[in-house]
Amino acid sequence: MAIVKNFVKKNFYRDSVQLLHLSEEAKKIEGVLDAAIVMGTELNKELLEKQGLLTEEGKAATDNDMIIALKIEETANIDEILEKVEKLLTAPPETAAETYYYSLESALDALKDANIAIVSIPGQYARDVVLKLLERDIHVHLFSDHVPLEHEIELKKIAYEKGLLVMGPEAGTAIINGVALGFANVVNRGPIGVVAAAGTGLQEFTVLVSQAGSGITQGIGVGGRDVKSPVGGLMTLLSIKAFEADPETKVVAIVSKPPSPDVQDKIINYIMENTKKKYVTCFIGGKTFEIPEKLKGRLVQTKTLHAAALEAVKLVDEKLYEEAKKKLFLPKEEIIKIAEAEIAKLSEKQKYVRGLFTGGTLTFETQVIFKELIGDVYSNTPLNPEYQLPDARKSIKHTVVDLGEEEFTAGRAHPMIDPTIRLLRIVDEAKDPEVAVILLDFVIGYGSHPDPATAHLDAIKEAKKIAEEDGRHLTILAHITGTEKDPQNAKKQEEILRSAGVIVLPTNALMALTAALIAEKKIDEKKVDKFYNEFLVGKY
Amino acid sequence: MVEKILKLFKSDLKVINIGLEFFYKSLKDQNVKAVHVVWQPPPKVEKDLQDILSKIL
Repeated sequence: MAIVKNFVKKNFYRDSVQLLHLSEEAKKIEGVLDAAIVMGTELNKELLEKQGLLTEEGKAATDNDMIIALKIEETANIDEILEKVEKLLTAPPETAAETYYYSLESALDALKDANIAIVSIPGQYARDVVLKLLERDIHVHLFSDHVPLEHEIELKKIAYEKGLLVMGPEAGTAIINGVALGFANVVNRGPIGVVAAAGTGLQEFTVLVSQAGSGITQGIGVGGRDVKSPVGGLMTLLSIKAFEADPETKVVAIVSKPPSPDVQDKIINYIMENTKKKYVTCFIGGKTFEIPEKLKGRLVQTKTLHAAALEAVKLVDEKLYEEAKKKLFLPKEEIIKIAEAEIAKLSEKQKYVRGLFTGGTLTFETQVIFKELIGDVYSNTPLNPEYQLPDARKSIKHTVVDLGEEEFTAGRAHPMIDPTIRLLRIVDEAKDPEVAVILLDFVIGYGSHPDPATAHLDAIKEAKKIAEEDGRHLTILAHITGTEKDPQNAKKQEEILRSAGVIVLPTNALMALTAALIAEKKIDEKKVDKFYNEFLVGKY
Repeated sequence: MVEKILKLFKSDLKVINIGLEFFYKSLKDQNVKAVHVVWQPPPKVEKDLQDILSKIL
């Protein structure tokens, strides 16, 4: 017999990643069958309940309190276990103490020639910290979310005047001089510079460029709001100026969700009037624009990250592009073959796609592709507001959810680090007899879970089993945004997923296409051709 | 105007990490010179106490 106990520590804070680590450590204590140490947010309490780990004590906790939830053997000594948990909580950081500081000032004194900072504190506190850094001429990668818009504008104006980068807020990714900052992959270095107002967009783009055999000079993430009117593209423009002056960069790519029209015009005009290098734009979900005469031949417009990466490589080396197209990006015949094989296994009732994503840009790109192929889909971040899910935890018809959104991350680590929420959701979706396809993105690299494929195995097997016992076949598609050089090794991750019957596609765009073909249950070759011509190659 | 950025592109990174500790660990894994600032939210102070404090300080 097992018993469940909750202990609440009032006003006790640890960051979400530390809590995840503490939970894993607590599970290893003798007598503990399961454990979760979380902040007492509503979301966390709800998940504890789902995992059978919540008691009345835990229910009473607030956002500022820590809940230690333990499932222990009946015969275990709870006092001893608690003592061990307390030890974990109060243990000093394991890494060398001499590089830990308790104030920014002392850290600045210790590293006098610091040239960049990563700031990932709660957004409302970020302004003061970033101001101090800019004063010292230090570039900033601002990972934090919830930074007030007026703070972002203020900080970016100061940075722009000083010629400093403020990458963010809400910039998950940057690659500077080959170093991964935040969530980023180990990619080849090469002649392509990229500025992105789209975190996983930057990851997918850099990964695909690298897989195609080319590489990246710098990957600058500027945060999604940079290309909206209030911020006016300040850091995007500054990055373009830097790339234009950087002798290593030959081709520049700009990746974002649709910019505000005035900002888009500003960017295109700037490129037209002030640059000489070759450019690729990828405004995912944006309207196709008329390429000015002066830019014809040196600016390529693309609709997907897949196309943007291929076109950027093409501008560098046409031969590399031809090889990459064949090797990496699967001709239409292959995609049709995969889809047909899956369609044959589905029952009549199965018709819906369920995308369970961890990457915001990948969620968005998938919806843009679905809109073209199967129409609007429900989401917690829908393209069409009429398709807003009333409850993000429950799918309706075709649904694509971004599990990295606020409602899934309050007081928790991001699903790229902690897959718990997605694991529960995969099993939930499998119980729905109308579901034909589940789509999963695996964004690996620095910052992410050390082995997400293995962490998903049990849930994937359970989902397949649920469907099988109900006389159904459930198609699970995956795409891995990652390289073989990443700590998790994309190839190994792929093998693990394939061993569980998952179909792994080489790009997010191709995963979306495959899912749409399966859900439609008939292959319209003309539609596929149109998709390849419009979404997988660029427009000059 | 972009001199400081071009200088960054040519330099070894020396990073101050403020907030999430695991970003610091990622940097160490990549053999990047970095220091970590342990950050805690400012303690929540009751309003009446805050009023008194603001009078004293």
